[in-house]
Amino acid sequence: MTSIQGILIAGFVIAAIFAGTVFRAKLVYRLLALLLFLTATILVIFPDLTTVIAHALGVGRGADLLLYVSLITGIDVALLLYLRIRDLEQKLSRLVRDVAVRDALHIAGAAASENPRKNEVTTRL
Amino acid sequence: MEPSGIFIIIPAFNENAVLRSTVSGVIPFGYTVVVVDDGSAIPAASHLEGLNVYCLRHAVNLGQGAALQTGGEFALTRGAEVIVHFDADGQHSPELIERLVEPIVTGDAHGKVEVVLGSRFLDADDRRMVPRRKRILLKTGAFVSWVFTGVWLTDAHNGFRALSCTAAGKIQLKENGFAHATEILDLLRRAKLSFKEVPVAIRYTSYSRAKGQSMFNSFNIVIDLMLRKLFK
Repeated sequence: MTSIQGILIAGFVIAAIFAGTVFRAKLVYRLLALLLFLTATILVIFPDLTTVIAHALGVGRGADLLLYVSLITGIDVALLLYLRIRDLEQKLSRLVRDVAVRDALHIAGAAASENPRKNEVTTRL
Repeated sequence: MEPSGIFIIIPAFNENAVLRSTVSGVIPFGYTVVVVDDGSAIPAASHLEGLNVYCLRHAVNLGQGAALQTGGEFALTRGAEVIVHFDADGQHSPELIERLVEPIVTGDAHGKVEVVLGSRFLDADDRRMVPRRKRILLKTGAFVSWVFTGVWLTDAHNGFRALSCTAAGKIQLKENGFAHATEILDLLRRAKLSFKEVPVAIRYTSYSRAKGQSMFNSFNIVIDLMLRKLFK
């Protein structure tokens, strides 16, 4: 085993442990992470496999195939995160809006108030 | 209709002193004024002492579209009959509110009107008040709005508009930022609400110009709109 294989596998192990802890409540994500870990490790141990798959798909080199796959994955992840953020934004807006409506102030006008300190009358609805 | 049934929604983000003069200009007409403070550094309420207004505050800055939606929802809970969007920076004239509200109250030749949009390009005098560069930008904006919504208007991103309570109930703004102006068109077409443009003059002061939307921001709005089309 070359040293780069050792480094990569060590990295995958750390990533897998991390994913396993982060997605504690989601079995599907955990299984996906495990699958990804196993695939990556196998490909690192038998690098020629990527070349075989690449040739089967009409790509010249295994490394190129990996590049394409990771590019698509990266874009997908970015889109998924974007949707999640949008969803969170909507929820935040809902929350902020409800609080604003609940805590609405009615500032009394000078003419409408009978209080001698009329400029300071503010009522919470 | 009682003027108090007409709710003027004024979104404010760090407007400070000018907000007070804008609000003071609207109050004498007897309308119900709702200021929505979109998380200003200095709470807007501190500029409004002694003025008869409702003041709502967003805990964090969400954007003008979000502030208008908040004000609209609040107005509906208070029994608003007509909701008017009004800029805090003093660009809009309170005298013109009547002109925007009238078609909703009395209808026009074609019957009921649910939404009235202000336009700077219907009257030659109003048009002359728009700086040349701004004119090109606005016309481009109107075209972009048409591309996205299929609604052809003479003006774009004019924040001066009036909605009936029915329309306000149907129009739920999700675009927190400035893209809400185009979003409104999209929503009113989907909800099949009748609308009309009326001429309004916009006062361009150095303050409102500095606060207004820059060229750069327009590109941002277009990107927001594209994302909205893609991921609804």
